[in-house]
Amino acid sequence: MSGKLDHLEEHLEKFVENIRQLSIIASDFQPSSQAGLNQKLNLIVTGLQDIDKCRQQLHDITVPLEVFEYIDQGRNPQLYTKECLERALAKNEQVKGKMDTMKKFKGLLIQGLSEVFPEDVAKYRSIRGEDHPPSVTSSSNI
Amino acid sequence: MEEEDGTPEKDCPMKTTSARHQDSAGAEGKMENFTALFGAQADPPPPPTALGFGPGKPPPPPPPPPGGATAATAPPGADKSAAGCGPFYLMRELPGSTELTGSTNLITHYNLEHAYNKFCGKKVKEKLSNFLPDLPGMIDLPGSHDNSSLRSLIEKPPILGGSFNPITGTMLAGFRLHTGPLPEQCRLMHIQPPKKKNKHKHKQSRTQDPVPPETPSDSDHKKKKKKKEEDPERKRKKKEKKKKKNRHSPDHPGMGSSQASSSSSLR
Repeated sequence: MSGKLDHLEEHLEKFVENIRQLSIIASDFQPSSQAGLNQKLNLIVTGLQDIDKCRQQLHDITVPLEVFEYIDQGRNPQLYTKECLERALAKNEQVKGKMDTMKKFKGLLIQGLSEVFPEDVAKYRSIRGEDHPPSVTSSSNI
Repeated sequence: MEEEDGTPEKDCPMKTTSARHQDSAGAEGKMENFTALFGAQADPPPPPTALGFGPGKPPPPPPPPPGGATAATAPPGADKSAAGCGPFYLMRELPGSTELTGSTNLITHYNLEHAYNKFCGKKVKEKLSNFLPDLPGMIDLPGSHDNSSLRSLIEKPPILGGSFNPITGTMLAGFRLHTGPLPEQCRLMHIQPPKKKNKHKHKQSRTQDPVPPETPSDSDHKKKKKKKEEDPERKRKKKEKKKKKNRHSPDHPGMGSSQASSSSSLR
């Protein structure tokens, strides 16, 4: 996959360079430059053909539309990646905090109920102990 | 409402059952008043018992839902899931546990530590030109300024012919240009904006920009600055900058190769 992307990148760079040289020729055109201009035009067509071939190999790659918004605003698209990672980490921490708080609450609730309803809590614990899978019992405070 | 015949029995749909509701005399009297009020339209509907439905039975119970199960036919495993079943109300089975939850560090789970350190550990520059330094033109401007946005390309894709065919000789005749330089409005399109550098380094840009007429006071000031530039370290920096600027000039012979070699910087 990275090889195909490098291939596309190489073609795009050559294409951009051809266009840039074409613009330099056109900026101060001389009659002797006509042959070079024609050559550059044909190079642009072949460049587009090469890019079109690369496109068919990369049809399974999807790009988020938000990246295009960053580019249209003249911003670095790596900022989008950075913000995605930061948002994912923040949400991860938020959910982990919720889970830890709920576990603590469960432990405190069981503890409080066991003081008021010892028999029922013992019954509940015995039921949960039978049905609980081992991974959950290890993480719970029961 | 009166019927045309004036005979209620003939046109009455309940004619076949008329004999059944003559049992009670009180009912007949009421029926006569009823017919007197509303004409001989029809006899009142007979009670359900007369029609053979039996003594008022309660309506049949509604059919059970397709997914539900009654107590008699419920499978043994469904008792735990039903509300009210078991020793405690609303006590249900816990959902199946999964290895991946929100409590695990997803960045380490998906091996994104390197990416995280790369993008979040270092400062990422804001401008698009920092991501694509070799791309010519004013790329830091918004696409809406010159109608070159990617969004417009997605919303209104251009109509493509089919394949890319080389331009023939007769078609190339349309690309004959007038000799001479471009008008000033179009000249600045391919020039990149000067990159901001430190204050000490902007002295070199003066050599390329048009120099304003010198005043006597400025000449003395510049002589003092030139003496400072004679330091060896500053000379080395100047040489390096000159090399970089010469690479971007069109007269440089190794232009194509230098562009391809600079692709590694983008990776």
